[in-house]
Amino acid sequence: MAAEPESPAEEVRQLRRCINDLVSVLALPATWTGGAPSQIVGNSLDALLNMLSLDFIYARLRASTETGFTEIVRVGSTWESEPRPDEIGVKLQPWLENESEKMPVVVRNLFGKPTITLVPFQLGMYADIGVIVAGSQRTDFPQQTERLVLNIGANQAAIGLQESGLLSAQKRVASELDQRVAQRTAELAASNEELRKEIVERESVEERLRQEETELKRIEAHKAAILDSSLDCIVAMDHEGCITEFNPAAERTFGYSRESVIGKHLAEVIVPPSLREKHRAGFARHLATGESRVLGRRIEMTALCADGREIPVEIAITRILQDGPPSFTGYLRDITERKRNEDALLETHAKLARSEERWRSVFENSAIGVALTDLNGRYIAANPLFQRMLGYTEEELGQLSFLDITVEEDRELNRALIKELLEGKRPQFQIEKQYRRKNGSTVWVRNSVSIVAGTDRVPQFLMALSEDVTERRLAEEALNETRSELAHMARVTTLSTLTASIAHEVNQPLSGIVTNASTCLRMLDANPPNVEGARETARRTIRDGNRASEVITRLRALFSKKNAAFEVFDLNEAAKEVVALSVSELQGNRVILHSDLAADLPSVLGDRVQIQQVILNLIRNGSDATRIVDDRPRELLVKTECDEGGVRLSVKDSGVGIDSEIEKKLFEAFYTTKSDGMGIGLSVSRSIVERHQGRLWAIRNEGPGATFLFSIPCSTNT
Amino acid sequence: MTDDQEHKTIPQPLVVVVVDDDESVRESLPDLLKEFGFTVLAFASAAEFLASGSAARTNCLVLDVVMPGTSGLDLQKELKSRGYKIPIIFITAQRDESIRKRVLEQGAVDILLKPFSDIALRGALSKAMGET
Repeated sequence: MAAEPESPAEEVRQLRRCINDLVSVLALPATWTGGAPSQIVGNSLDALLNMLSLDFIYARLRASTETGFTEIVRVGSTWESEPRPDEIGVKLQPWLENESEKMPVVVRNLFGKPTITLVPFQLGMYADIGVIVAGSQRTDFPQQTERLVLNIGANQAAIGLQESGLLSAQKRVASELDQRVAQRTAELAASNEELRKEIVERESVEERLRQEETELKRIEAHKAAILDSSLDCIVAMDHEGCITEFNPAAERTFGYSRESVIGKHLAEVIVPPSLREKHRAGFARHLATGESRVLGRRIEMTALCADGREIPVEIAITRILQDGPPSFTGYLRDITERKRNEDALLETHAKLARSEERWRSVFENSAIGVALTDLNGRYIAANPLFQRMLGYTEEELGQLSFLDITVEEDRELNRALIKELLEGKRPQFQIEKQYRRKNGSTVWVRNSVSIVAGTDRVPQFLMALSEDVTERRLAEEALNETRSELAHMARVTTLSTLTASIAHEVNQPLSGIVTNASTCLRMLDANPPNVEGARETARRTIRDGNRASEVITRLRALFSKKNAAFEVFDLNEAAKEVVALSVSELQGNRVILHSDLAADLPSVLGDRVQIQQVILNLIRNGSDATRIVDDRPRELLVKTECDEGGVRLSVKDSGVGIDSEIEKKLFEAFYTTKSDGMGIGLSVSRSIVERHQGRLWAIRNEGPGATFLFSIPCSTNT
Repeated sequence: MTDDQEHKTIPQPLVVVVVDDDESVRESLPDLLKEFGFTVLAFASAAEFLASGSAARTNCLVLDVVMPGTSGLDLQKELKSRGYKIPIIFITAQRDESIRKRVLEQGAVDILLKPFSDIALRGALSKAMGET
């Protein structure tokens, strides 16, 4: 209940205060600009609390949109602690619901206060905004002026709230709008962004495409340039076999311009008539089956030029993969030149190979060892024969030099010869030496060694042709041995022959002596003694004794080397003696010796003994020639006869005769067909005869055999 | 004492034929043989001997081995083939063992090497004539 003022001064004071308060309250809205509802209310509550020194002032605001509400409380200094708005709200609840005019109301024991007066004020026309409750312990509360202030304050707050509400609604709307706008803007921005991105992307794609196109164009241009500049002919053809491309090289090669052949059938243009059918058939087959014998490989063919020539070409055809019907590209090359070169090369190769083979064959199959060494003598190559000869393989030889395998004693000479060869003092040399084989044995070889001049590819090397002369050397050694043996033997034989001859010849008179002497004794012992007979036999004995002596002398002279002086002698006698000497030897070989000695043969002047040597030689030769034959009698005929101005002695045999080949060599010194190598006879015989101013020769018989003859002038003629 | 006294008196003159191409043999040997008491004929070659027809009455043949033409061996064979059984004494200067064997194989009585002693000859003749 409102108290009445006490005095007019008080009343004025109260009124002034009221007006001030009102002014303040009226000024409040200025502080609320843009504020939130809670701020407005809080602000108002603060102001009212202070102005009226209230104990508390509580506000409940309805939320704009929800069914909930906001509670605010401001408390005065009488409160110990700041209470929670909702606590206050709960406590005030009973009085808020009641919208009676009974307000203000005095309440006891609320909030720990003994008594407190509560004055509610509605906010808004129908408390739709909210309610404010002012409370004070003063008993005079609320005075009229206070009520007025509170009222106006509440109104202001309400208006402020409304406005604020409006504002906030506005704001809300605005903010919603804003939000929407913002959202929209954001959306727009986003989609813008996206758009922008898309554009950027598209641009970049376009850029890329542009680049690619440029690149493609460049490549195209490059390809075109390749095609154009290609030395190989490039001809493209579609699925109908018509020419779609014909590069400059093709133009040049075949002699057509590009324009003139584009669209024409390939077969008509460059396939030779003889191959057209095959081409058509193959093409058709490929189109039908996909098979081809020519695609994807290089093949050689002939092609037709504008001028009618057919040229050999190398051609590779590829199929161009693309959608739609196939097309084909052919790469051709005129290989006329190449083929010519190839043929020439092949021929050269063949020649070379043949030559190489030939020489290799020579090397491999040579009947003589061939070995090649470097200038230090180390083996580079050796043919199979050489390898076999030495017992080393080619590899093993490669580790050795020729001096390594030459025996010690031959190395010096070998070295010297090689040195001369290398110094150019001689172009080649021969050497007979011994190699030591792998197995330690030795082999005699005759080597011919030369330097082979180098070429740019191959340096100089030494070549040795190596002949195994072991056998020959052994044979030679054996021969030498045999020769010396034979010479010895011959001497011995001659001696024994001599002895035998002497023995034989002496035997005769000796025999006579013994027989005659025996007879002589018997005759003397007879009764009466046969003195006449004894005398005769004694005479014979002496004669025979002399004969024997003569024979020995003669024989000795015959075999001595002393040059006897020329004397006059009888050829027949001389011949007889020789014949007598030879008979036994000849008959030992069943050779019959006949003699036909001319009567009244004139004497000759000469060396009896030497002439007898000649006769002996001829007889011996004849005997040797005859000894070999079996199918006819072995006969020798010694004949003497007069020759114009001289005498002639011939020894005719029925032997093997004289070969025309041998004839030439017969009188050569040391020539012999006899294996004992004592062919001195004829040559020396001839010399002897010639010394006698005579001549010695031989003729072939009409029948078998030969005749050796010599003639010397008779003594009257010299 | 002569050699003759050692032997029996020859009951009849036996014919000894000498065939040798050596003249000195033909000259000296027959005389010696005559001293022995034989009748002697001498020929220079086998051919001559055969041609002479004396073979029939030859009691002994003194034959040279080595002769021109028909050799002593050949004559030995020839006489055999002709059916003569004449004892033959070969004489030769050749000291060849194989000859010795051959002639003896072919039936010769003996072969004497020149020069041979008269005693050797006499012995061979005794053998040939079958005297002891």
